[in-house]
Amino acid sequence: MRRVTSGALFAVTLAGSALASTQIPAKPQDHPIALVGGTVHPVSGQEIAGGVVVFDGGKIVAIGKDVNIPGGAERIDVTGKQVYPSLIDANTTIGLIEVGAARATNDMAESGQINPNVKAQVAVNADSELFPVARSNGVTLALAVPQGGLISGQSALIQMDGWTWEEMTLRSPVAMHINWPDMVPVKAWWMRETEEKQIETRDRNLDLIRQAFDEARAYQTARTAAGIAGVPFHGYDSRWEAMIPVLDGKIPIIVNADEIRQIEAAVAFAVSEKVRLVICGGYDAPSCAGLLKKHNVAVIVDGTHRVPRRDDDAYDAAYTVAERLRLAGVPFCIAGGGESANVRNLAYQAAMAVAFGLPKEEALTAITLHPARILGIDDRVGSLDTGKDATIIVTTGDPLEIPSRVEMEFIQGRRIDLSDKQKLLWEKYKEKYRRAAPRD
Amino acid sequence: MTVGPRKVNDRVAFRNNGTIEIVVIFRVGMGVCLENLISISRQPDLSPATTKGSRMHFDAWIPASLLVWVVGVQMVTAAETTVPPDRIRENTPVVFALTNARIVISPGKVIGKGTLVLRDGIIVAAGAGVAVPKDATVRDLAGRTLYAGLIDAYSEVASAEPDKAKDAGRGAARPATSGTPESPGGAEYWSNQVTPQLRVDRTFAPDHEQNKQLRDQGITARLLAPSTGVVKGTSTLVNTGDGRAGSAILRDRVALHAKFHVRFSWSEERAYPTSPMGAFTLFRQAFYDADWYKKAWETYRRNPGLARPERNEALEMLQGYAGGGTPVIIDTPDELYFLRADQAGRELGLNVIVRGSGREYRRLDAVKASGRAVILPVVVPDTPKVKTPEEGMTVDLAELLHWDLFPENAGMLDKAGVRIAFSGSGLKSGTTLLDSVRKFVDRGLGADAALRALTVTPAALFGVADRLGTLEPGKIANLIVADGDLFNKKTKVLETWIDGERYETKAYYGEDLRGTWEATIDGPRPEALTVVLKGEPTKLSGKVGRDEKEVDLSTVALDRAQLGLSFKGDDLGMAGVVRMSATLSGGAMLGTGVAADGRTFDWTATRTAPFVPEPEKTPPEPPSKSLYAANFPLGAHGVASLPVQPTAVLFRNATVWTSGPQGVIERGSVLVQRGKIVAVGRELAAPADALVVDASGMHITPGLIDCHSHTASDGGINEVGQAITAEVRIGDFVDCNDISIYRELAGGLTTANVLHGSANPIGGQNQVIKLRWGALPEQMKFEGAPPGIKFALGENVKQSNWDRRSGRYPQTRMGVEQLIRDEFKAALDYRKRWTDWRARGKGMPPRVDLELETIAEILEGKRLVHCHSYRQDEILALLRTFESFKVQLATLQHILEGYKVADAIAKHGAGASCFSDWWAYKLEVYDAIPYNGALMHDVGVVASFNSDSDELARRLNTEAAKAVKYGGLSEEEALKFVTLNPAKQLRIDARVGSIEAGKDADLAIWNGPPLSTSSRCEETWIDGRKYFDREDDAKQRVEAEKMRAALIQKILKEGGSDEKKDKGDGKPDEHPRPPRTDIYCERHDGIEGGY
Repeated sequence: MRRVTSGALFAVTLAGSALASTQIPAKPQDHPIALVGGTVHPVSGQEIAGGVVVFDGGKIVAIGKDVNIPGGAERIDVTGKQVYPSLIDANTTIGLIEVGAARATNDMAESGQINPNVKAQVAVNADSELFPVARSNGVTLALAVPQGGLISGQSALIQMDGWTWEEMTLRSPVAMHINWPDMVPVKAWWMRETEEKQIETRDRNLDLIRQAFDEARAYQTARTAAGIAGVPFHGYDSRWEAMIPVLDGKIPIIVNADEIRQIEAAVAFAVSEKVRLVICGGYDAPSCAGLLKKHNVAVIVDGTHRVPRRDDDAYDAAYTVAERLRLAGVPFCIAGGGESANVRNLAYQAAMAVAFGLPKEEALTAITLHPARILGIDDRVGSLDTGKDATIIVTTGDPLEIPSRVEMEFIQGRRIDLSDKQKLLWEKYKEKYRRAAPRD
Repeated sequence: MTVGPRKVNDRVAFRNNGTIEIVVIFRVGMGVCLENLISISRQPDLSPATTKGSRMHFDAWIPASLLVWVVGVQMVTAAETTVPPDRIRENTPVVFALTNARIVISPGKVIGKGTLVLRDGIIVAAGAGVAVPKDATVRDLAGRTLYAGLIDAYSEVASAEPDKAKDAGRGAARPATSGTPESPGGAEYWSNQVTPQLRVDRTFAPDHEQNKQLRDQGITARLLAPSTGVVKGTSTLVNTGDGRAGSAILRDRVALHAKFHVRFSWSEERAYPTSPMGAFTLFRQAFYDADWYKKAWETYRRNPGLARPERNEALEMLQGYAGGGTPVIIDTPDELYFLRADQAGRELGLNVIVRGSGREYRRLDAVKASGRAVILPVVVPDTPKVKTPEEGMTVDLAELLHWDLFPENAGMLDKAGVRIAFSGSGLKSGTTLLDSVRKFVDRGLGADAALRALTVTPAALFGVADRLGTLEPGKIANLIVADGDLFNKKTKVLETWIDGERYETKAYYGEDLRGTWEATIDGPRPEALTVVLKGEPTKLSGKVGRDEKEVDLSTVALDRAQLGLSFKGDDLGMAGVVRMSATLSGGAMLGTGVAADGRTFDWTATRTAPFVPEPEKTPPEPPSKSLYAANFPLGAHGVASLPVQPTAVLFRNATVWTSGPQGVIERGSVLVQRGKIVAVGRELAAPADALVVDASGMHITPGLIDCHSHTASDGGINEVGQAITAEVRIGDFVDCNDISIYRELAGGLTTANVLHGSANPIGGQNQVIKLRWGALPEQMKFEGAPPGIKFALGENVKQSNWDRRSGRYPQTRMGVEQLIRDEFKAALDYRKRWTDWRARGKGMPPRVDLELETIAEILEGKRLVHCHSYRQDEILALLRTFESFKVQLATLQHILEGYKVADAIAKHGAGASCFSDWWAYKLEVYDAIPYNGALMHDVGVVASFNSDSDELARRLNTEAAKAVKYGGLSEEEALKFVTLNPAKQLRIDARVGSIEAGKDADLAIWNGPPLSTSSRCEETWIDGRKYFDREDDAKQRVEAEKMRAALIQKILKEGGSDEKKDKGDGKPDEHPRPPRTDIYCERHDGIEGGY
């Protein structure tokens, strides 16, 4: 039997209870740390061979080639390793669902069509086994996005370490999420509705979205006017209250839309409503790049591992969306395709774009700084810059290449336990076969 | 109007709606007839007081020299009738001579001017010099053309199916339980989808309104088929006269009807078959059962002491088809179903006629090679929506091409020598079969061929060539009287004759009044007017002139009785508006008129010059031919022909990842001859005739192999109607048109194990294919790959994740284990029954059970088992079951807890084919780990990574890299997870899986290290033929865009005028495709399929 490469030795302490991770959250950073000797990829600037990153109190305090390392700092030698900001998945349901087919573990979608008031973070299961698995491969930041209906609710940016969802929430609300109706009837075996019925549903849903914005505006007006010059009091409506940050332009709407007519309709809607728009999905976005650029609409390319939507489309159509947007000057980032259990594969979605033309540096930016900017969290994360969170990964190689491994990880300077359920099971069963193997 | 009440005839006909029509004919005036049709309830008192309604119409313009025929009344012929008369007997002569007509005796055989003699409903003479019998009634049909009556080769009785748009599949509509209202009752087949005993002739009732519409377009007979079921029942050929059913039926049990394309249903209470695969096999099993039934009863009759076989009306009625007797007509929604229908015919020895789709042009050669006749639909496809840029961008090129090519399908088939007939099924009212066929004639179908397809061919196919199809003496007197060439757009069918009885059509006009008439107004000083009538015979216009001046006629009103004219007379010296009317009398007009001042006058007119049609102002543009020939498969990625196989190919200077003993060769060469690898090494000399491919900087790997795929299957993936469906075959439904094939080729994949889904503990038979894009389904099959079957365990088969509990056995892993054991025992018993019977040489013969046959093959080691499995308990239980029957499992599929019992798997010798890193999509995969593959490999299991996904199958090379990341395998070893190891698991490693001399030249060429995420496949070769080339792909994109633009322009120019769309029930549109993925497998990424 071939000896399996052994990493750190893990204590096999599988708790009896399922659906709860065994990894213990890290303590707050209580002393400065300096990563020394590695190749540093700030993303916001040129890579620094033999660079140094110093962080203290959870923040990056210095970065560069010749950096004064404060006394008392813990020097960690990462010679031969690569230092990156944590990867960010801009579209996930992580924390909101544990086991796909087990309904009891699913908190992704509230019933009803108009749920602007629901907030993702309050249902994030801090003990989900999915978090340690995701962060094991360098993704420590993810947008948890409510699903379903037309206005699904508000997303939150989650950092994958903490005792509670409150500790894990880096920013909320990040955006209001909207599912744009299919503008063209779907013809597929799984579609249960006739084309006529689909069009009827579409028109009703478009009205509902429009109506929600109109009513939210009316509500905002009534609430503002209430009590002034004899205007009567207006009661509270949690749905429309939640819409006010959208109407005020404080948070964007992120609209799920792949088909060109969906995208065009969403842009027209956002322009007329004077709200900030981000398109998520974006399969056909390159076909209306001019429109997107003109109205400064960014696109979250939701994964490259997708089959072409139409038989005629180029076989690599989904692989090249990001590069085509880049060439057209449309701001974009790449997300992981919304698959909660395999958020860890985010980098490989970006890598596929590289194989089909996207420059490698762009691909890395597309899963770090670009999503941070699009989600409005680049003041905290997305690159290695002084003042930003020390949310850092140290790898054996290019994270876009599958064999590379994450060897060290910090979230706000806290050193993260890179063990996970899967590694523990691996160790457990390696032990089974070790015992069965004939002794030398 | 005064009517001279001179009664000449009364007739009575019974209508099937319980009313009696009494037709009273009065002769009026100068030979003009008034028919008074009174419809009254059938009751004893027939006095006029009970009249429900009456209508009158006039039968004018018939030359007085002729007798008058009555429309819409049953002819009492000299034939014997069992119907007792309830009035005075009728005995009108039924001998006719149709003279001076152009007679098209049969396609291509035309008599310029001749006579057709009909006697007692039969054509007795036809020709130029035929004498008119002395007792014949003569009809002068100068200027008319006679054709044999047209035959509509397929129509359906009203469907009992619920609204097809609703979410209900066939299974949901007719549950399998016998005794339900939809079941035929009696000694029926176990599945009510097999009802060969249903005979349309038994319930046939003529629909007189429909018959009238059919006659209007010249159809004198039609095939009427049952509409529901897999084996639906038998059709009958009926004429479209107004007779009773008994006289309308020309032939019963003309053909047995079947269809395989059962619709997908979301219902969880579906009955077998729920899939096209299941339907095909049910069809197959029914014929095996019919054969057994015959033998069993023969045996029993010889030896009544034996146990009595079951009585089965369905199996009894399935006799007589095997061996090529009575035809079996199989519905086919596309060209691939055509090939399947042909296959069914070959396998079971059936005389199959294909009810086609209009898509046969897509595989013309194969359709031709089948030798099958095809009944074609005529409903034209909808004009693709291309008006907006977005529509133009998103419409499929295949849809555009189809719009352009469909009208030429019939012509192409005819030219290829395929026998064709036409079906008006699905036509919207207002469109006729004849109109549609004329469009085909415009687009290349010869007029004689079109006539043949509407007459001679269907008559021959339906076994009535001796009675129908031509105007030769001896044939039934079913014919058409037209006023010109039948396939000219302007020609009208004026009369149809059925069984020698004459019917007028909607377009009928008694006499063509067009021409120049000289009118004389009576009076002391007779005045002369010239009336010129032109336009259509039934829609006249014209001028009136007097003394060198002329004005347009303001109105020309025409009904059968009278012509009415009005004109402004001022310019002609007749103040005010003048009104005139006339009745035709023997070629002359007898008229009256009213002048503006109210004075009346009489007038007469005679024709002095015939009508001369005006030349067309703008000659009609000749119909445009299709812009492009069909490619294979039709659409943006199709090819004109299969790639050539060079005699020899030498790939040089590449990094060759052999997956074989030679390991990785830097700057290596691979020599291929006639599709086989003949040498691999550092420096190889190129044979003189070799194509040399410089692959500097490239990496060559064996073509990748996906051990778990659902690509290229059109059969529904899962037959979920039963827990054991070993009899169904993915191989029956290889879909060579699946675009996923091309996309996977572009990812370096060359071989796929196409598996049945995981809905059942024992699913259907798999099919290993090579991705030979552009080839036919049979050519895609991996020749010589051992047959296999899909098993499944766990949540899917016990339906744990269904919304509702179905109660189907099994509902636990305990039950799954028992069901499989029980089935194995049953198969052993089955084999023993056969062995014993063969040994005895007598006794009751066993029946061929396709399910148990398949299971027995497993136990005999002739069929590989690929079992979907996750949890270690179920894996172990399955291994033990197989071991107790001394059978080795070929592969455990998914096997995400395989790492927990890898030692047992290794010891058993099963392969393990898993996902690299999927997990947590359902409870049984919560313990899945990405280290699984490497760990099993380390313990000695032959392990592979598979896709189970049309998406993932495009990048299995980088999946392999996960065995490096998780578990630390070398890149070389990891690559084997998607090359050699799956080949071993499928027992095809002697042919593929590594780059070694003697193996098939299935190769993928990469622009970088194959396991790197930034590498890309540049070329893919199968059998030494290049099926994918990224450079060619780029060129094809440009070409496809050009084609798209040209076709869109053509549609915008031509298609816009044809906004009317046919949307009948039987619209031969793309049928809804069944699922293309294993929908009972909880997916990590939800529903796929382009959306």
